[in-house]
Amino acid sequence: MGVAVSFENLSFTYAGAPRPSLSGVSGQVDEGSFVVIMGHEGAGKSTLCYATNALVPRFFRGDYAGRVTVLGTEVAQSRVADMSRQVGLVLQDFEAQLFSTSVELEVAFGLENMCLPREEMEQRIDRYLRFVGLADMRRREPASLSGGQKQRLAIASVLAMEPRVLVMDEPTTDLDPAGREEVLSVADTLRQERRTLLVVDHDPDAAIEADQVWLMREGQIAAQGSPRQVLTDLALLEACGVQPPSTVALFEAMGWPGRPLTVDEAIALIQAHGLARPQPLTLDAAATAAGPAIVEVLDVDHVYPTRSVEALRGVSLRIGQGEFLAIVGQNGSGKTTLAKHLNGLLRPTRGEVLLDGRPLQSIRRTEIAQHVGYVFQNPDHQIFANTVREEVAFGLKMAGLDPQTIEERVAEALAAVGLTGYEEEVPFTLTKGERQRVAVASVLAERPRVIILDEPTTGLDYRHQRSMMEMLRRLHRQGHTVVIITHSMWVAAEYAERMVVMQGGRVLLDAPTRAAFAREDVLAQASLRAPALLRLGNWLGTRALTLADMVEELKAR
Amino acid sequence: MNIFLYLDENTWFHRLDPRTKIIGVLLLFGLPLAFNDPRYVGAVALGLVALGAAAKALPNFWRMRYLLLLLVLFSSVLWPFFAKGPTPLWSWGPLEVSRESLLFGIAMGLRLASFVAAGLIFLSTTTNEEFTQGLIRLRLPYPVAFAFSTALRLVPTFAGAGATIVQAQVSRGLDLESGNVFQRGRKFIPLAVPLFIYAVRHTNLLAMALESRGFSPLAQRTWYVQLRMRRDDYIALAVLATLFVAAVALRLAGYGAVLPRL
Repeated sequence: MGVAVSFENLSFTYAGAPRPSLSGVSGQVDEGSFVVIMGHEGAGKSTLCYATNALVPRFFRGDYAGRVTVLGTEVAQSRVADMSRQVGLVLQDFEAQLFSTSVELEVAFGLENMCLPREEMEQRIDRYLRFVGLADMRRREPASLSGGQKQRLAIASVLAMEPRVLVMDEPTTDLDPAGREEVLSVADTLRQERRTLLVVDHDPDAAIEADQVWLMREGQIAAQGSPRQVLTDLALLEACGVQPPSTVALFEAMGWPGRPLTVDEAIALIQAHGLARPQPLTLDAAATAAGPAIVEVLDVDHVYPTRSVEALRGVSLRIGQGEFLAIVGQNGSGKTTLAKHLNGLLRPTRGEVLLDGRPLQSIRRTEIAQHVGYVFQNPDHQIFANTVREEVAFGLKMAGLDPQTIEERVAEALAAVGLTGYEEEVPFTLTKGERQRVAVASVLAERPRVIILDEPTTGLDYRHQRSMMEMLRRLHRQGHTVVIITHSMWVAAEYAERMVVMQGGRVLLDAPTRAAFAREDVLAQASLRAPALLRLGNWLGTRALTLADMVEELKAR
Repeated sequence: MNIFLYLDENTWFHRLDPRTKIIGVLLLFGLPLAFNDPRYVGAVALGLVALGAAAKALPNFWRMRYLLLLLVLFSSVLWPFFAKGPTPLWSWGPLEVSRESLLFGIAMGLRLASFVAAGLIFLSTTTNEEFTQGLIRLRLPYPVAFAFSTALRLVPTFAGAGATIVQAQVSRGLDLESGNVFQRGRKFIPLAVPLFIYAVRHTNLLAMALESRGFSPLAQRTWYVQLRMRRDDYIALAVLATLFVAAVALRLAGYGAVLPRL
């Protein structure tokens, strides 16, 4: 078997960047093998992807040293357009890489650039749309597809060029769980066909089937090896900011033999060694006593004037003082629509939303912002000021507060998100995790009693996800009511007290978090799945929601 | 959110060659320009509605109903003050309105509405790629045509981002509904800056995606969309050209104008 991609002591520093993004990276991807690259934000994973098709150094300029060859061709000597025949690159942002007005034309674009005759294009479009399961959507507008479909289309449009190597940079990061499954199953078919695959992913589940896992840290390769070698080294994973498989972490903490990568493997080991006995799960029936209602949604319907997919049908929800609530569900299930009703961004078509018992529609915009804060998914949709201080003070100035109070509130909000000392920084130059915090601080500064966050952890690496959620937990302990919308099941499990599962514009399930995750059948109905630790917990009958609690509970048995 | 006007139907209009449609729509623009009598322009407008129905483009007419209505209303109300005609109807100081200028105003409103209608029929029946391809076959250089079509393509994307940005700032307490012109102008900074940065970032990513799929603007390439002028295309062009010539001839013969000098 030949070598498909070879990195030889590759270093790269983006023009104007203070530090190198890659320093001395070496490694080989064999033809027909599947390599997964993992690592923290800024570890150089994307740069490594760009180095395979000459985007680095041809599109991104900078200091380039070392050599990358793809099937014998030296990449740095080639143009991106020429490399595209050998290397197909799928970007993380599926919105930006689709630009045609129909699915078939999207796939045709690369083929046109290859100067293929029309009949050949026809055949390839057919073949690769069928391959990714979009054959019956040929004439659809790409913008009207779901996230998973968009990313599959992006994959098809690259695959159709029949490159020998396929590189995917975080292809599932922005997707909901169903979209993620769709893309992973395409990747799985490619793997079975023995295509050469180089995939960046942050979820260990995606890496289990890989031939090799590369762990990256600060521009260097920290480890290369089989998934079993790499994913069971908890200290190393931690150091690289990668979430360890929870089953491995549990077995290590319990001192049990074996390092299972999957729940099935874990159950088999527990049974084989008699490590623990499954018990029926018993949960306290009494729901946690929530405080007085702040926001109440009463039998609300919402229909978008443009007949969009997302809508609400007969939704009722009571959010009490001091709750930590997670709203989960697929894209299009209505969770964002619901959340936007909580601060009056959207108005119900039928039904009513009350804030402290008053109809929301009768309250002024600036006043609502002081009670209910809403942090949007992408902080870049709101950051505009030259300094962090100005950015955070924006809402307060709008409310007409005096400079003294504004100063105090800004300091307080920055302290809450752990950004004290960043007042004079330029927000645009901060990392994604920090920008996310600035966005949260700018909402917190108004001292809302309820904070709603849309996907607070999406696009952050494991370390930043943790610190984001720890920060929200602190705010919650200080008395804030927190509502998050999330795709991340482990985030909901570890941090939320109560979970609302949405499906098709309705509330499918509204229960304390542990009880909700015990209902695997209901979750499956909403195309969701409990995190590995809780699936194991459901089998064992443990009440714990976090690893630490589960270890304690099992040891006490 | 869908801001595209293209309607995926299979009418006779959809099947026309984009070159025919581009030249055709220019000829259609010429018809309301030839007249300023509301009866004549009205006839053109009615004809366009009929064409719109045949092209199944009426849903877009309905979507744009407020724009169409506003164009007609504003023109009818404002034009009479600027065009002078011989038969005075009403005057107040230096302001005066004549019978002819009133009719002229209505005609101008219908003329603008006809332009919009002709454009809507074109956009409802032509995809972006067909349009680009048509422009290229009409001898526009490929890089220019590509830049043009990409710009068109980005409008809805940016509009979508813009809508999200407005919501994000409004939920932080940005009040877009009060204040005088200057105060309102300043309030657009929190909207304009994130949109600008989004645009720069997005176009950069798009450029990466284009290059990664083998695109280079000056290189040889083939086309998936293949254009062919058929018999129907020549018939359509002949009919439209005849109508255009007839309209110009009518006007030169002195018909179809309430204010012949304008």
